[in-house]
Amino acid sequence: MSGKASSSQHTVGFSGSGGLSHVYIQYPPLRCRIPGSRGLYYDDGSKLLLGPTSNQVFSWKTVPFDPHVAPTSDSISEGPILSIRYSLDAKFIAIQRSSQEIQIWHRETGETFSHKCRSESESILGFFWTDCPLCDFVLVKTSGLDLLACDYESKLLDLVETRRLNVSWYVYTHESRLVLLASGMQCKTFTGFQLSSAGIVRLPRFEMAMAKSEANSKPVLAAEDIYIVTVYGRIYCMQIDRVAMLLHSYRFYRDAVVQQGSMPVYSSKIAVSVVDNVLLVHQVDAKVVILYDIFADSRAPISAPLPLLFRGFPRSNTSSSRFSGKDGESAEANISDHEAIIYGDDWTFLVPDLICDVANNFLWKIHLDLEAISASSSEVPSVLEFLQRRKLEANKAKQLCLAITRTVILERRPVSMVARVIDVLVSNYSYSIKTGSYLKGIKVERTSISSGAHVNSPRSSANISASGIDALGKSYEHEPSARVENESLNRSSNISTSDSEDEAHFESLKNTTTSLQKLDRENILGAESASNEAQPSSSQSQHPGLNNNPLNASVSERQELQLASPAISPDEMYSFVFAPVEEEMVGDPSYLVAIIVEFLRSTNLEKIKVHPNLYVLTIQLLARNERYTELTLFIINKVLEPSKEVAMQLLESGRQNFQIRKLGLDMVRHLSLHHDYVVLLVQDGYYLEALRYARKHKVTTVRPSLFLEAALASNDSQLLAAVLRFFSDFIPGFRNTSDHHTYHRILSEMNSAIAT
Amino acid sequence: MGLASVNTVIEDMQICIFDLRRGQEEGRELDKILFFFPADSPSSKKLSVIGLGEGLIAFTRIFSPEAACEVIEAERHSHVFYEAEPDIWMVMMIEKSVESEATWRIDALREILQEVHSLFMMFHGSIRAMLENEPTGGLVRSHLYPFIMDYLSDFLVGKKLHLPSFRDCLTRRRTVQMLTVGREAAIEVQLLVRILESCAGTTPCHSLILFQDLLVSTTISADDTINLFAYSVLRLTPRALSSGVSSWSYLLKGNTVSHIAAASTLAHYGSASEHLFHSHGNSPGQDSSYNVKRPLWHDKWSKGKDGFLVTDVWGREMDSMISATPTIWLQETEEKVYLCAYQYRGLTLIILIPVSSISNGEQGVSLLKRQVLENASLKILKVEEKLSKGWGGENAYHVKGYRYLLVDDDRNTSRASPPVKASTLTKESLLAMSKLREEVDLEKRRGKLDSTDHKKNLEICIRAKNNAWVIAHTMRGKELYMVLEKANETLLYASDAVEKFSNGYCGGTFSLD
Repeated sequence: MSGKASSSQHTVGFSGSGGLSHVYIQYPPLRCRIPGSRGLYYDDGSKLLLGPTSNQVFSWKTVPFDPHVAPTSDSISEGPILSIRYSLDAKFIAIQRSSQEIQIWHRETGETFSHKCRSESESILGFFWTDCPLCDFVLVKTSGLDLLACDYESKLLDLVETRRLNVSWYVYTHESRLVLLASGMQCKTFTGFQLSSAGIVRLPRFEMAMAKSEANSKPVLAAEDIYIVTVYGRIYCMQIDRVAMLLHSYRFYRDAVVQQGSMPVYSSKIAVSVVDNVLLVHQVDAKVVILYDIFADSRAPISAPLPLLFRGFPRSNTSSSRFSGKDGESAEANISDHEAIIYGDDWTFLVPDLICDVANNFLWKIHLDLEAISASSSEVPSVLEFLQRRKLEANKAKQLCLAITRTVILERRPVSMVARVIDVLVSNYSYSIKTGSYLKGIKVERTSISSGAHVNSPRSSANISASGIDALGKSYEHEPSARVENESLNRSSNISTSDSEDEAHFESLKNTTTSLQKLDRENILGAESASNEAQPSSSQSQHPGLNNNPLNASVSERQELQLASPAISPDEMYSFVFAPVEEEMVGDPSYLVAIIVEFLRSTNLEKIKVHPNLYVLTIQLLARNERYTELTLFIINKVLEPSKEVAMQLLESGRQNFQIRKLGLDMVRHLSLHHDYVVLLVQDGYYLEALRYARKHKVTTVRPSLFLEAALASNDSQLLAAVLRFFSDFIPGFRNTSDHHTYHRILSEMNSAIAT
Repeated sequence: MGLASVNTVIEDMQICIFDLRRGQEEGRELDKILFFFPADSPSSKKLSVIGLGEGLIAFTRIFSPEAACEVIEAERHSHVFYEAEPDIWMVMMIEKSVESEATWRIDALREILQEVHSLFMMFHGSIRAMLENEPTGGLVRSHLYPFIMDYLSDFLVGKKLHLPSFRDCLTRRRTVQMLTVGREAAIEVQLLVRILESCAGTTPCHSLILFQDLLVSTTISADDTINLFAYSVLRLTPRALSSGVSSWSYLLKGNTVSHIAAASTLAHYGSASEHLFHSHGNSPGQDSSYNVKRPLWHDKWSKGKDGFLVTDVWGREMDSMISATPTIWLQETEEKVYLCAYQYRGLTLIILIPVSSISNGEQGVSLLKRQVLENASLKILKVEEKLSKGWGGENAYHVKGYRYLLVDDDRNTSRASPPVKASTLTKESLLAMSKLREEVDLEKRRGKLDSTDHKKNLEICIRAKNNAWVIAHTMRGKELYMVLEKANETLLYASDAVEKFSNGYCGGTFSLD
């Protein structure tokens, strides 16, 4: 079933050709060819690609995606394999041997036991492991669901609960923990269960819409026409209506299933992937992919349909010579031309973002080309909104956002437009602070988690049965944290209640998880982005020719940071936008000042603190152009909030303008920087005032000699006497210091000079 | 109605402007006089006044060439001198009245001279330049006379000119009153300023924003701000527009004595002065060939349909009904700019567009106005909303128990108890404060002559006859005047009160020890 040879070859969009595209797959693929393979199975619960042979199971980790990952193997007994999955704790392997029998394999001991259907009338449609507290294992049969608990001691799968109903076929993804059971003549009546760690939720039964082609023909819905999609923590079901050529979407709430709208399709074969919460609808026949970001209500595609690009393919005989030699893989790369078929018949789309080339035993991972997407739209604020929602390549999205922002300012686009750009960035930052993802991102970045359980992408479903690479297996990961992470993720994708639509994702978090678990989840995301990040960034530096987008010129430089969120803090706005822009901009600063004020408005609205350096920059801009009146207003009205940095800059700029200096002085006093204030007063010649201030605020850090020298310099014996007397009274033991002796002598000399 | 009545009104005061460089030959002495009020005084009187002034100036210059005569206190008159431009002097003679009502503070009078001259400069340029432009002096005389008469009409209460007296001791002319705004509103204001700034394309436009009679934002130099602020409060703000004269601003109207009466007499006076101006013009060559604009003419501004204020004082465009847009000179940049005022509720925007940036005159200006409305109207709404939400009304800056005046000399701003509250003080307190201010003025002038950068710090507390505390406190360019009536008798109490006020309302400026 899996090894269909393809005669028609379509080679589309090699990287060297520079074809326009928003989505690409990166050479090299994960090769999973093993001798004696009996097909490939993908287990979305444990995220493993499984390749059983007659007595062994090879498994490749797909998350993080590493094309050079070595398979691990487990011995199994001979026998037919219909499907195979590893348990979530990776201790067991479950293999479907027939339509009646499941065999469970304990990996450590190699012991096995079997579970069989009770009656001959029912047959097994499939099974999966679950982290639902009630049971470990779910068996989907034509007669309904069996929820089983794995009892290793007694070598049994104990039946916990049975849900009776007729099932034609089913769809399940581990990512959503949702199983959809199809029934009815047209298979368009659905019953859904969510087996989350919070328990089992039964969804109301619902029907999918199907257009009729003729009066009497009733199309039957097939499993491959249904996709469960998890986007932004919400669960959708995509249904292909072949007659109407529409892709219907349904959103699942705890208490309802609501049809959301439809998108047109342009191909008889459709596949759906999700990369970083972006919905990819592959129009397989047309060999194009359409991107949707269904965050908002809009069902409009992000951009025009474009082909899937194949990147990094080493071809020494083509013009793309820049790839040869740079790719360490080129020596062993022996992929022939026909292997680069895009949307070949042998392609199987795995949940959420993998493509399995069954004929060649390749596994490809789909990537978004954020540069290309951001370059394709001129509507900058919405591009930034899109980029700010990207989690997978958060760092790249962030760098793009910074570059785009710099560009719009340097191009002196209208202030209102730049203001909207700033609003997008600031509100996203504020949001990420509130949800904690920004700080978590920083944390991840510091501890640089490179491995870990990556639970973000599972799905097995329609295309499992369709492609026949359904699989089951055990994870090799033994980290104790894996379980917790699974749980927290699971909760995040709980079916939400319908009254909190847009915030549902966070609502469910709030309802079901503690902040600790939230933290866990964010760590997962962070770690995942961290591990996934390596690829695109390296590809970018390897193939600069791909960067036909002028915006990413400086993007590749700062990619060491691994972030969970592309949110941009005010500090970064200063360092990566305002400071560099200020250096590049020449002439009148009005425009930049206007932009900065817009930024201040935005941050003020979101109650975010601004880096004092930005204030300092503003002061410099205004002072350099001698706009002191405005600067004064900025300070007095606290548009530029007081801080030591600001005060020092005012004093600095005040060299040209006495009033500005005074503002700085006042600010120093208001900030209670007593020491600085006293020193500044002395500098300005207000000795007595400085002394009074020192006495009042108990400033003892200023050296008496500073005053004494100043008083001496004034050549006023009265002043010197006053200062000397002050310190004698104010500082105990001052009379015994050398300062006192020195100046006392000087004073008496002065007095005697006057006397004579 | 008639000249007689006018004369009785102004009997006790004369103002003259003369140029020391003119009329040096015998028999041509009258040529020196550029302005004399009252205009129908006999020449001999004029000459005697000017002769005295000129003589004193020449005499005092021997000792102090830089700053000659400032004031002469005669038994029955005070002469206040102000050298407006080099060799162009303004002198105000004022009769000392037996009744103590007419106790002046000299600096307050000089500030009037200073203000009228600054405003004149703003609209017409310097007197010297006009004289050089037209050496006969006809041009400058024909401009000065209506200008100063229009200005003085603001001091007319009933049939009497009410010059600032001791009752106005808690005000300071030639300062700007600022509106205190929160950060959020300030940011919105700044955004609006940026929009206005860029409305003329590449050449940046300056702007002033006022809310009610208080300044919110300015982008021009301090001196220009003072002038334009003064003019706005006199003629442009909603209050100035609605009443024609009365402004609650304590500075410009001082006592709120019978505005209605003043307004009604004003028309009368206006026409009288008009009459006087035409029939008794003392200036030679007084004829209609000079196109005299009278920016201070009362009731000449009104709000247009589009929200912009219009006036026909600057005449009309040829063959059209469009009023010409006023132009003014900015002192600092010596730039000629169009003055466009836009009003929305309490908010008055003054947009200054460089004349050089607009090539096609009135057409260009009206195009630009439309642009401003398109770009800024939303922001204007927002700013107005924010400001009026945060505004505490006329008595917003009243501090309970205190009657005060707070001046920042560096920034030329002042804030004071609202006039309604200040007028509750007894005459004794006011007189004492007026005297105290006179002293401080003197002290300040001495400090200036010492030419040290250090402004003296001064602290004076006086127990007045009526047992009120009258306090003056200056601290590095900031001045605080305060009257505490019905207060405790100890000095400690008074200084505590200052401390408290200083910490609460001046950011601790006056509470160093």
